[in-house]
Amino acid sequence: MPIKLMAASRRRPGLTRAEYFRYIEYYHGTIARDERFKISSYIQNHVVDGAFGVLSDATHQQVADRECVVELYFENFPDMLATLEPATPSAASQDGKFFADERTNIIVMAEEEEVPVPNPFTTFNPGLGIVKSVGALKVLQYIMRDDEVYREDYYQHWRDAHAYAMEKAPYAREQMRRCVMNKRCRINDNDAAARKHFKMVDPPVYDLVVSTWFDTLEQAGAFRQYNEAVQSYPKKFADWSRSFFLYTRQVPIIRDTPKN
Amino acid sequence: MPTATEASKPEVKAQLNFKDWYASTRKKAEQPPLTPEEKARPFAKYYRDPVPPDPAHLAKMDKPCDPSKAIYPEQMNDLLNPGYLDMEIGWCNLPNGAGFIANCYQHKGVTADMIDWWFVWHTLEDLRYRIWFPPQHAGIMISPETRKRFLDPSIPFREKNWGATHHVTENCDCGMENIDISFMSPKDFGFDMSRWHEPNVSTFAGGFGWACAVNKTDESITAPALMCHIFRQIPGGLEHRTRFWLGYRISNGKPELSLPPGVRVPEAAIRGLARHNVKEFKNFGVFLPQIYAELGGKVEV
Repeated sequence: MPIKLMAASRRRPGLTRAEYFRYIEYYHGTIARDERFKISSYIQNHVVDGAFGVLSDATHQQVADRECVVELYFENFPDMLATLEPATPSAASQDGKFFADERTNIIVMAEEEEVPVPNPFTTFNPGLGIVKSVGALKVLQYIMRDDEVYREDYYQHWRDAHAYAMEKAPYAREQMRRCVMNKRCRINDNDAAARKHFKMVDPPVYDLVVSTWFDTLEQAGAFRQYNEAVQSYPKKFADWSRSFFLYTRQVPIIRDTPKN
Repeated sequence: MPTATEASKPEVKAQLNFKDWYASTRKKAEQPPLTPEEKARPFAKYYRDPVPPDPAHLAKMDKPCDPSKAIYPEQMNDLLNPGYLDMEIGWCNLPNGAGFIANCYQHKGVTADMIDWWFVWHTLEDLRYRIWFPPQHAGIMISPETRKRFLDPSIPFREKNWGATHHVTENCDCGMENIDISFMSPKDFGFDMSRWHEPNVSTFAGGFGWACAVNKTDESITAPALMCHIFRQIPGGLEHRTRFWLGYRISNGKPELSLPPGVRVPEAAIRGLARHNVKEFKNFGVFLPQIYAELGGKVEV
């Protein structure tokens, strides 16, 4: 898929998590289906749990609260803009304020790069081993680039750190069913109008969000082992205090049956 | 970690981390005089008034050409055909809003080896980039990992740039910009490798770039472009054909128009880059054989 928009939001003041999830899935999701525009697919990732920063931090360095990450997939950039900024504002674009604290949204326009994993099939239950690269637990790992590191080196260091972690973390090596790098596209630099619209002030910029899939929440420990190994990689490439990960449950809002 | 001797080499000492490099570009954009250290470098003598281009050549970049004579990036393989395309020197807005530039030079005494060497060698110090075109080239940086690759003698010059990013500070007639140019192999850029041989082509330098004003504000646009310099042999030298497609990026290995619907790349930006290209490569064609005879084939000076 050429490009997608990832928006990590937290609930607006006054809403419970249950109210937020009900609204975003059943109301906002329905609006998006009714007014699909040029969306290829739309996945909501509802946050089950997560962690922000690292244990050595005395306090959080930024907003440490996320309820959902929506992923809107498009065939190309003009399709993305035609959907996000239509001539007449869409109902979906006006709806966010009813469930999200929009000024703290984190927006990443990303291009995907698949990273092969050694065990894309589950082995626990042979009946599940029909389709590879799926899992009910999806982890989204927002990794803040160290501000001294060049983007091109950062991506290379992450690849090396990932390989290092897969070597050091046998449980993750066994249980990770899929891994995707979501690399921030520089087009994202041109989002001043959106930031102004949502009254966002210096939102954090993430050059990489890594998505990993595991069979179920029971395998969250495999991610934890992996994450600790990535963070222990000797080369400094990330600001772990401003990084976070989210355990999520995928809720497909728009997902067509593949044509082939 | 480099040894103390290694670290004292100018090619290694030039390295800044991203944060410091980015902060340094505003100062570089002012084009300060050479430092005493720079003046002592053996190639400082090339920091001089550039050779001016033929006025008739430059004049072809004054006004837009006929867009029907332009090619789109999806047609890049037409550059491997013998002969010439309809538009070899000119620029225009394409109907889809993108910017198109074509330029053509015949560089006497220049070889493919010189081109491959230059596109690595000039990245290692600001002065190396500044001598290329002193009026408008302000500075350059590469990442520590790229520098390691460029200093590694086991990698051929032609391949060193594949996947490397040059961070240049230059003025393409529209003010000083920081431009990140990510070089690609011809295959990754989209050329048909079954046709990638002599006499169609001798060498190539190209990829995609993102440009943004050095004095960036929140409203500044980061603009994408594809850059293609393709060289083929002519008697006594190389023919150099340039194409730029402004408003495009490479996505999943293919060129993709990356402009918002209805937006056109400003004519001033296309014309500015076209004129800059004519000026910088006129000078390039003159000094390259000279500097290569003196320093060519190795990266350290």
